[in-house]
Amino acid sequence: MPLLPAIVLIGIFLAGPIVWSFYGSFTNAALTGANAKNPEWIGLDNYTSLFADPLFPKSLLLTVIFVLVSAVIGQNFLGLGLALLIRRAHRPVSDVVGICVVAAWVLPEIVAAFVAYAFFFRDGTLNQLTGFAGLPAVDWLFEHPMLAIILANVWRGTAFSMMVYQAALDDVPQEVTEAAEIDGAGGAKTLVFVTVPMIRRSIATNLMLITLQTLAVFTLIYVMTAGGPTNRSTTLPIMAYEEAFRYSDIGYGTAIAVVMLIIGAAFSLAYIRLLRERNPS
Amino acid sequence: MRGASRTTPAAALAALLVLSGCSGSDGGGGEEASSNTLRIIYQKAGDASPLDTLMQTTKEQFEAANEGVTVELEPVEGTDEDYNTRLALSQRSPDTAPDVFYEDTFRLRSDVEAGYLLNLDERLAGWDEWVSFNEGAKEAGKADDGSTYAVPLGTDTRVIWYNERVLEDAGVEVPWQPESWNDLLEMARTVKEAQPDSRPFSMYAGTGTGEGTVMQSFYELLYGTESGGLYDEESQKWIAGSQGFIDSLAFLKTLYDEELAVTPAEALDPNVWQVVLGTMLPENQMGATVEGSYAPSFWQEGGMLEWPEYADVMGVAPFPTQDGQEPGAVSMSGGWTLAVGAGTENPDLAFEFLTTAMTQENLLQYTVDNSQIAVRTDVADAPEYLQANPFVEDVSAVLDVTNYRPATSSYAEISTAVQEATEAVITGGATPEEAAATYDEALKAIVGEENVVEE
Amino acid sequence: MSVPFSSTPTPTTTAAPRTGGAGSPRGAHRGSPSWTASAVLGLIALCFVVPLSWLVLASFDAEATYETALPASFSLANFTAILTPEQTFLPLWNNLILSAGSAAVTVIAAVLAAYPLSRFNTRFNRPFLYTVLFGTCLPITAIMVPVYSLFVQLNMLDSLAATTFFMAATSLPMAIWMTKNFMDSVPVSLEEAAWVDGASAMKALWHIVVPLMRPGLGVVFIFVFIQAWGNFFVPFILLFSQQNQPAAVSIFRFFGQFGTIAYGQLAAFSILYALPVIVLYVLVSRVFGGSFAMSGALKG
Repeated sequence: MPLLPAIVLIGIFLAGPIVWSFYGSFTNAALTGANAKNPEWIGLDNYTSLFADPLFPKSLLLTVIFVLVSAVIGQNFLGLGLALLIRRAHRPVSDVVGICVVAAWVLPEIVAAFVAYAFFFRDGTLNQLTGFAGLPAVDWLFEHPMLAIILANVWRGTAFSMMVYQAALDDVPQEVTEAAEIDGAGGAKTLVFVTVPMIRRSIATNLMLITLQTLAVFTLIYVMTAGGPTNRSTTLPIMAYEEAFRYSDIGYGTAIAVVMLIIGAAFSLAYIRLLRERNPS
Repeated sequence: MRGASRTTPAAALAALLVLSGCSGSDGGGGEEASSNTLRIIYQKAGDASPLDTLMQTTKEQFEAANEGVTVELEPVEGTDEDYNTRLALSQRSPDTAPDVFYEDTFRLRSDVEAGYLLNLDERLAGWDEWVSFNEGAKEAGKADDGSTYAVPLGTDTRVIWYNERVLEDAGVEVPWQPESWNDLLEMARTVKEAQPDSRPFSMYAGTGTGEGTVMQSFYELLYGTESGGLYDEESQKWIAGSQGFIDSLAFLKTLYDEELAVTPAEALDPNVWQVVLGTMLPENQMGATVEGSYAPSFWQEGGMLEWPEYADVMGVAPFPTQDGQEPGAVSMSGGWTLAVGAGTENPDLAFEFLTTAMTQENLLQYTVDNSQIAVRTDVADAPEYLQANPFVEDVSAVLDVTNYRPATSSYAEISTAVQEATEAVITGGATPEEAAATYDEALKAIVGEENVVEE
Repeated sequence: MSVPFSSTPTPTTTAAPRTGGAGSPRGAHRGSPSWTASAVLGLIALCFVVPLSWLVLASFDAEATYETALPASFSLANFTAILTPEQTFLPLWNNLILSAGSAAVTVIAAVLAAYPLSRFNTRFNRPFLYTVLFGTCLPITAIMVPVYSLFVQLNMLDSLAATTFFMAATSLPMAIWMTKNFMDSVPVSLEEAAWVDGASAMKALWHIVVPLMRPGLGVVFIFVFIQAWGNFFVPFILLFSQQNQPAAVSIFRFFGQFGTIAYGQLAAFSILYALPVIVLYVLVSRVFGGSFAMSGALKG
């Protein structure tokens, strides 16, 4: 009985849309035109068009690149590096660094997106800086849209990994690493052979979570490049939005949503498995 | 007691849920459900929006004339693209659908098919001022079934706006009257030589500027080629494999490759027109661009990009056909309308609001403020209209050679495919031939092979 | 959607508030601090701060551009220009309704749901917890198109109340996790005493357990609040009329219209909008100590 409000809320607003998305993806529902009035069941048509759409594999690839480079490599390694360095640095320095990194993460996403837009804009701060160094101005958002959104996502999201790893490193017993170093292992060796294995659970958890978060990034990309130019930064969430709301094809956009849900669900299940192994009942 | 404390929080929550489910938009959206409230959705561009002024005035007049009726104005800020999406999103649900709204003519047929618009035939027949609207304008409000669903607020044309100072400084004679695409390139190259950092002749391209890309750029080119437009009225089929399409893309490519236009990156910015009209032309950085007849509305006193000297500096010229072939010039016309929501609970009041906005006096003010081309004959004859700005005559003259977009329900999607073709070409992503082939494919996917004719 | 905190919970039994993490590295007693580490860190921090400095400087510069520059003259003109009811106060007020509303709904529902999960061991618990966890992980962005369709069907478009409940639902799985963890650390013995006195389970929950876990619930409330406050995509799709729009959406519209003109005002508006969550975040870390919830929720 006390579970009821939670079940109702989750049932209507989370399970509802998920069930709906499977149904909706088999219709030609639209925002305008005759299909808006009488959406029809069109079976797998949306999926056949989706798999024939040259934008789909491109968008999928861009999504994979975005997740891999900005989250799995960027946020993850930078976050771990920061967490390790913070333990070795002077206290005031670590404090200030912590605040700086977390600041980008605490900002509302739309504000972070504007800040990143302004930074990479052709008359923006980055070109100002490269200009000081005597380098030619580059229109980042236009010429290297993926690089720009990847760097922006690293900037915005690293704090999360950093905090996860700070918490994990706090649990590594001092004696173990010290013992390793007394045995003559260097700092790098200790890190790779002692510290990393000890926090491997946290690493796995973190990877899974930032992958899921990055998979869902919409606002940052929408504000910075809107998926352009010529769809060179159109990840799946952007593609779904454009198809559904800009080109009015709700059914088609829903089919893309289903693909994203399946990818997300696969990662979620993997994550849950991981936890199960960790906490046998 | 035990029972009470057990259920209270859960029950409260459940009650809230039910409340939000049933009452829909009562959460704050509005009292639109009540029978004497009208909700009006329209676009508000910038702080100084002539349409906003018109709506405020109409609200006042209407509320004074209809005691007890409240008009709720819901201006939507943002680009045209944004406005159209917002409007479409709210039309899907009867509770959020507006009673009266501002509708772009090219969305009209599609939205009629969706069942969003009220058929106005009977009501228009009983409205004595309807005869004052000119026939061409009335066409704009008609759908495939021959019925009228919207009343036009104004129409427009597109011409070349050029900065006389920039052209004169480069040794180009003014008034300038290009007669073919070559004349355009010649002027642009001459100006580029004289003023290397300038943008001598810019035309929009890419998906950023949306309909602006096609209306103020690509169609001026395409409709001036031998191939003609997008759609063959006679066979009622869309045209694929058009040489004119490729030539038009190639022309844009030349402009961007030779740096005669804004940079491709600038072109993709949805707000590039603000920079063009607000900075580049006033600061003599640009020779010429293709823009709507409504450009003076931004420059005139109180406009969004005020520039009082525009009348002395700017000149206009009709856009030439490809090789100067008949009829010598080409233009595009569109325009916006007011329509009544199909689901309105007060069709009579809603229609009355619409006609209040459309009185001669109100429409004259709006037409002048927004530099529209008049759709009411009694507005067109008014001295205030004729003297509104020095260009009224010039931009009205091209009505003789103007074209209208194919008003079919698939147009919006096809337009996007055209915009994508221009974007691919100016960013170097595809050659004109490749981009045209991609467009042909997209076209067939949208309307079906059977509705396409190969040229 | 970036989901601060929302994805952190793991089944854990050690959720006791603890300090540590950001700002208070325990490594301090691990040999003497290294200058190289400090220098490298400083450099990285600089990279993180440079983009932010534009925001702050531009907001006080009446002639701001997208370049980072010290204002020629310090000016509050940008702030005074946007401090109108229409531009700032109404959107912020809507934000407050959405955020406080969804945080309150979430906390109530989460406490109710967490209680049986924490106190009674039934066969139902584990599957439920894993389902909830599964929900936590799903990308909310992915379901916005179907959510829109669902809202059309249920006539809930452009309703602040419905949007509030939707946002509550999206953060509920996370909140249930965190709440359960906090609740696990409240000893059962106190309630048992109350039960002996004849109090119902619910009474024990509201009068004994909830007061004891107030700090934990505060954390949950604030995190849901921060998350809802910063959300852009959800209200962007579900709310249209100006009187219902929260600040994230009105900032976006402002950018769409004046993004190439009024940089300074955009920055000023952004700062006003970001300020409450920054304050709340600082509050959480001050009052509850470092990244307490993070470490509390994460360690299993």
